[in-house]
Amino acid sequence: MTLEIANLSWGHPLPGGGWRQLFDDFNLSCQSGQFVVVIGNNGSGKSTLLNLIAGTLRQGGGRITLGGRPLHRYRDHRRARWLGRVMQNPLEGTCPGLSIAENLRLAERRRHSGLSAQGLLGLRPSQADRRRYQDLLARLGLPLAGRLDTLVVELSGGQRQTLSLVMATLGDPELLLLDEHTAALDPKAEATVMGLTEQLVRQLGATTFMVTHSLEQALQYGDRLVMLRDGQLIGDWSAEAREGLTPASLRGLYGSAIVDPTEQPTAHAPAAP
Amino acid sequence: MLTLWLGAYDQGLAYAGLALGTYLTLRVLNFPDLTVDGSFALGGGTAALLISKGVSVPVALLMAFGFGCLAGLATGLIHTRLGVNDLFAGILTTTGLYSITLRLMGRSNIPLTDTPRGIDRLPDLNAGFDDEWGLALSLVVLGLGLILGLLLSTDFGLALRALGNNPTMARANGINQRRGLNIGIAAANGLVGLSGALVALFQGFADVTMGIGSLILGLGMVIIGESILRPRTVPMALLAAVLGAVVFRGLIAVALALGLEPVDLKLVTALLLLVALAAGRLRIPGLSSQARSES
Repeated sequence: MTLEIANLSWGHPLPGGGWRQLFDDFNLSCQSGQFVVVIGNNGSGKSTLLNLIAGTLRQGGGRITLGGRPLHRYRDHRRARWLGRVMQNPLEGTCPGLSIAENLRLAERRRHSGLSAQGLLGLRPSQADRRRYQDLLARLGLPLAGRLDTLVVELSGGQRQTLSLVMATLGDPELLLLDEHTAALDPKAEATVMGLTEQLVRQLGATTFMVTHSLEQALQYGDRLVMLRDGQLIGDWSAEAREGLTPASLRGLYGSAIVDPTEQPTAHAPAAP
Repeated sequence: MLTLWLGAYDQGLAYAGLALGTYLTLRVLNFPDLTVDGSFALGGGTAALLISKGVSVPVALLMAFGFGCLAGLATGLIHTRLGVNDLFAGILTTTGLYSITLRLMGRSNIPLTDTPRGIDRLPDLNAGFDDEWGLALSLVVLGLGLILGLLLSTDFGLALRALGNNPTMARANGINQRRGLNIGIAAANGLVGLSGALVALFQGFADVTMGIGSLILGLGMVIIGESILRPRTVPMALLAAVLGAVVFRGLIAVALALGLEPVDLKLVTALLLLVALAAGRLRIPGLSSQARSES
C-alpha cells in the first residue's frame, strides 16, 4: 500500500526547558511495495518517524495515510492491524513468557485482536495452527520449526529477532517497519536476519521502512535510500542512483557527524528518545 | 491431625478464588492489584447480607461475584482512563469500598449462625462421606479452574497473557491494552468477591475488615503453590494456585494448633511471604525491584 506522510510535525520539550521542533512540515511518499531504507545520525528522527507512523508517538500535526487510510486518526493498537513491526531490542518484539507457537498466533491475529467475543471460540494455537507454523518455519529453513513449545525467553537474541521478523510478516501487514532490527546482533546473526529480511520482504510485497545505522546495509538492501538530518530529508536515491555511492561519499554528503557503528564500534551511542 | 487438614482443605478451597484472582492480576496481567482487599470484604458482605435476608445461596454468590467485578472494573477504569498509577488506583478503590461495604451491610458484622448453611439445602449427593461442604466446594473450584483454564487458552486469554508479558509488543499486535486490563482486573476481582462470600459462609459471619491483607494472603498462596509445582503451563499454574491456597490454610491451621494466637496471624502471614520474597528465587511482577526488567 502507498504510504503518504504529509505536513508532519512533531516536537518535544528539552530537559533544560525549551522546545525542539524535530519535524516541521515533513513530507514523504512511498509507493506500494517499495523497500525504503532510512539512514541518519542519532537524533536525526529516524526512529521517531517510525514511532510516529506506528502511533507509539502522536504527531503534532499532519497526515499519515496508508493506502488512503488515515493512520494518524487511530491509536497505536488500531494502526497495528495493518503494520508489522520489528523493534531494535530483541527483548521488546516478542512475549518472552509465551511459547513460539503462541507468539506466532498473536501476530497472526493482528487484524482481529483476540479481545473480542470471537476470540473466545476455540483453543489456540490449535493443532492446525501449529502445523501451519511448523511448515512456515521449515520452509524458511529456520531451526525454530521443531521448537514450537519452547518459551521465547529461552531463545538467543538472534533467534528472538528472527521470530520477531517472521511474526511481523504474519497477519497480512500492508506496511513493515524495521527499526534497526539488527543493531543488537553479532555479525553472524546480523547476516542471517538480513538475509531473511530480504527474502520475507520480497515474498510479502508489503511497503517496507527499514531504519539502519549501517551504511553497508543501506547500500546493499532496499530499492530506495533516504537520508535524514534533524528531521529533514537531505537525500533520496533510487536503487539505480545509489550505485555510485560509497560509505565515504554518504558520510561526505551528510557532513562530518554521521556515524557508522560497523566501522567505529566505540562511537555507538544509545538511540535517540 | 487429619481433621485439621480436612478443615484446611475446605477452608483452602473457599480461599481458592482469592488465589486464582491474585494469579490472574499479578501473574497473567502483571498488575499489582490492591483492590482485592476491598473486593474480598465486598463479596463477603454482599453474600452475608443477602443470605441473612433469605436470598438463596447461589444467587448470593453470584451477586458477590458481580459486585467484585464492578470493584475491579472501577480500578481498571481509574488506571486506564485516568492514568492513575496501578498501585494507587487499587488503593483508591479499596478505600472507597470500605465505606460502600459498610453502607451495604448496615453494620460492621453480619453473623450467619442462625442461617442454615447453603450446603444443607443441597440434595444428598450420596457421596459416601460426610464432608459435603468439601465436595460442593471442590466442584465449584474445579468448575472455576476449568473455565479459567479454557478461557486463558483461547485467543482472548492469549491476548491477556501477552499484555502482562510485554504490553508494547501486545499493542504492536493490535491488542487493546485498556480493554484487556479492564476485563482482566474485573474478572479477577469477581473471583475474589466470590471467594470472600464463600469464606463468609464457611466461617459463619462477614466482617467489614475481613479483606485486610487479602492481596498478601493471595500472593502467599500463589507463591507456595508455584514453589511446590513449579508450573510451566497455564493449567498447572491454576492448579498450583488452588494447591497453594489449601497448603497455606493448612500451615495456618498447624500454626494455630501449635498455640499461635489468632491475633498474630497477619504478622506471620506477612513474615512468611517476606521470607519467600527475600529468598529471591521467585520474581514477583510489579512488587520486587527487578520486576519489569525482563519483560
